[in-house]
Amino acid sequence: MTEALPLLELKGLTKRFGGLAAVNNVSFKVRQGDISGLIGPNGAGKTTIFNLITGVYKVTEGQIEFQGKPIHNQEPFKIASGGVTRTFQNIRLFKNLSVFDNVYTACHLSAKYSLLHSVLRLPLYWKEEKILKEKARSLLAIMGLEERQDIAANNLPYGLQRRLEITRALALDPKLLLLDEPAAGMNPDETEQLMRIIAEVRKMFNLSVLVIEHHMDLIMGICDHIHVLNFGCTLADGTADEIANDPKVVEAYLGAEEEK
Amino acid sequence: MEYIQGIAVLIGINLIAVLGLSILTGFTGLFSFGHGGFMAIGAYISAIVSSRLDLPVPIAFPLAIVAGALAAGLVSIFIGKLTLNLKGDYFCIATMGFGEAIRVILNNVNYVGGARGWANLPQYTTWWIVLGLDVILVVFTWNIINSRQGRNMVAVREEELAAQMAGVNTFRSKMVALVVSAALAGIAGALMANYIQFIRPTMFNMAKSTDLTIMVIFGGLGSISGTIVGTFLLVSLPEIFRNFAQWRLVIYGLAVIVIMVGRPQGIMGGVELTPSGIRKIFAARRAKAKLEAELKAAEQGDAA
Amino acid sequence: MDQFLQQLVNGLSIGSIYALMAVGYSLVYSIMNFSNFAHGSVIMLGAYFGFFALTRLGVPFSVAFFIAALGTAAIAVILERLAYKPLRDRRAPFLYFIITAMGASIFIDNSVIATIGPTPKTFPPDLLPAWLQGDPLEWGMLTVGRIDIAIFLTAAICLFLLMIFIDFTKLGKAIQATAYNMKASALMGINPNFVIILVFAIGGGLAGAAGVLYGMKYQVFPQMSAITLKSFIAAVFGGLGSLPGALLGSVLLALIETFVSGYLSTQYRDLFAFIILIGMLVVRPSGIMGKDAEDKA
Repeated sequence: MTEALPLLELKGLTKRFGGLAAVNNVSFKVRQGDISGLIGPNGAGKTTIFNLITGVYKVTEGQIEFQGKPIHNQEPFKIASGGVTRTFQNIRLFKNLSVFDNVYTACHLSAKYSLLHSVLRLPLYWKEEKILKEKARSLLAIMGLEERQDIAANNLPYGLQRRLEITRALALDPKLLLLDEPAAGMNPDETEQLMRIIAEVRKMFNLSVLVIEHHMDLIMGICDHIHVLNFGCTLADGTADEIANDPKVVEAYLGAEEEK
Repeated sequence: MEYIQGIAVLIGINLIAVLGLSILTGFTGLFSFGHGGFMAIGAYISAIVSSRLDLPVPIAFPLAIVAGALAAGLVSIFIGKLTLNLKGDYFCIATMGFGEAIRVILNNVNYVGGARGWANLPQYTTWWIVLGLDVILVVFTWNIINSRQGRNMVAVREEELAAQMAGVNTFRSKMVALVVSAALAGIAGALMANYIQFIRPTMFNMAKSTDLTIMVIFGGLGSISGTIVGTFLLVSLPEIFRNFAQWRLVIYGLAVIVIMVGRPQGIMGGVELTPSGIRKIFAARRAKAKLEAELKAAEQGDAA
Repeated sequence: MDQFLQQLVNGLSIGSIYALMAVGYSLVYSIMNFSNFAHGSVIMLGAYFGFFALTRLGVPFSVAFFIAALGTAAIAVILERLAYKPLRDRRAPFLYFIITAMGASIFIDNSVIATIGPTPKTFPPDLLPAWLQGDPLEWGMLTVGRIDIAIFLTAAICLFLLMIFIDFTKLGKAIQATAYNMKASALMGINPNFVIILVFAIGGGLAGAAGVLYGMKYQVFPQMSAITLKSFIAAVFGGLGSLPGALLGSVLLALIETFVSGYLSTQYRDLFAFIILIGMLVVRPSGIMGKDAEDKA
């Protein structure tokens, strides 16, 4: 049986900064509907890969294909509107805007009215603004943020800020959601909650997820597939069980024997 | 009475330019040192249309204003294309250079009077025209800001990278803000030329550009009502305190520093003086208080 | 040919002044990633400090020069501590820094206008060192003003000392490291606050030197802060953030300006600076010696 077209495929991806190869000949696939994990020690190149996928960096060598079509080196906003959205390691919310406005702003692609419509307040503006408001409200309700919608984003507690970032990323109706260390700074309870949210989101919005994480319980708990990086190169690739038992990974990263 | 009306007209004219700058700086977060240059373009084009072309008044004046706005807008596209994709510093330096370049060019074009200026321009601008345009353009600005295009501009100001990740074409947003602000400055320049009836290049130098920016800052970045209040204050105050003219700018300069370090939201605090704006503030406060209460209760619950 | 060489010499003089300004600006930029738009006002203060040190305090010119440079170094550091540091601590957006710099510039410029007055002042020739007071030197068909020689030499010495400092001393290396990566340097034990103060002081000092030299060659007046635009353009021309680039850009800019002045018309000289800027932005925004000009994540 031939495998279905992967949603995202990295082929021989390499990114060099001056003489240093931050990402070196990395290839992997994210299958439709999967929650995939990207793990590795700090500095292994994980966020760089996210930046390459989302167009923040240009690739030095290799290809990135999304739904079979190359997206590498495209403008970031085009990639985002094409269905790949992300959250950031160090939260980049619109800090001074309310929770509602953060999501409301991100809903903009669900409307088509032009500047002329806005200036003249033509009927299409009113019709579509209503749709956008409703969409923002329902997203916030689904993610449990509706009560907080009037608070300025930077007044939210840390965990809710992360949740808001995910909500904002969902506003673009993505097919692939990239989460960069969404559980950073969370205690085990919050991490559990986050795991449930990610699983729910995958089901409810019918999307695929690629997660960068250090919290092994989260990765092992929800990932269908894991890719391990070390010093910019692929170390291992497989299911959670395969990775947990891979001696190379255990030695370089998990250290299951010595540590916790 | 006429004296007060004179000040009112000046407030009204400046308000148009400041509204544009508010969109660019207050809402999109771009700083221009050269909007005096766009005003100059508007003023001089308007002067040419209104006094060198032999057209009947009802056609000449609107045409002058539109021509001024268009010319300023077109030039701004040129500058924008070159610099808006680069780091913010480049845009600032380019606008600074642009402002100076316009002044030098105008100083040397004798057709428009050169450095000595151009006097005896027809007076077309009236109080009613200015008031009418003010109302229209305030609504215009409001409509832009409260739309998805306006929200995208604010997103650029807040977190440009995140905005891109949210599918916002940040270059286009910045460009629209720039062109609109330049066109509005052009309109203001055109009105000015046909009100004071005399223009010269030094009227539109960097001092003018920074004057306009100060009006935006005092009123508060990100508030249209703030922009109106700021313009009103900063155009009328110098008239009232004419004796202290020398110190006016010293105080303004210090005030800008103090505002930026202490209260960047300016006089209005980023609030809009509208029912929805005020409601928003109270809703935000209530929600924040509620959240803090809940967090405190949770903490006490844990401790118990 | 002779006129060409003559213009060359003229250009080098003003180029030296631009270089001092542009290098000071670029130095701060390379560390802070921030354009100090109040730079021009500091330059202007340098000219006034030098002028008053010479005329009121009655010190010899070289002492006045140092007083000016130290004075502006102090002003630059005060500006940093009072206006920029609070913004840095709050991680305020880029926009706030520019606005604050603009405010500082307006405050300083107009304080001078309000207190000392807008009339330009001239350095009294009899208070300048004796050897500067003579006739211009003749060298074949070239005439070189003594002041121009002094300017060129002073700037050359200052920049040479700066280069030695940056490349060969421990502090200089600390500056380089911080310019490259502030966080990593901090982890290595280099105190970023100290480096920032140092860099503003040096930048301010260079600005003061430039101010005195400019005031000496031309005149001292409050609006001379506008000259800073030239230093920005020179820095962009050579490559924002690169010190050698700032030097190269300044010299080239000054030479082009002088040739335009000489062969075309003085009126269009300032316009050409803008044309060079636009040209650079079209062809190669990172400047002659610069790195990438685009935003990085």
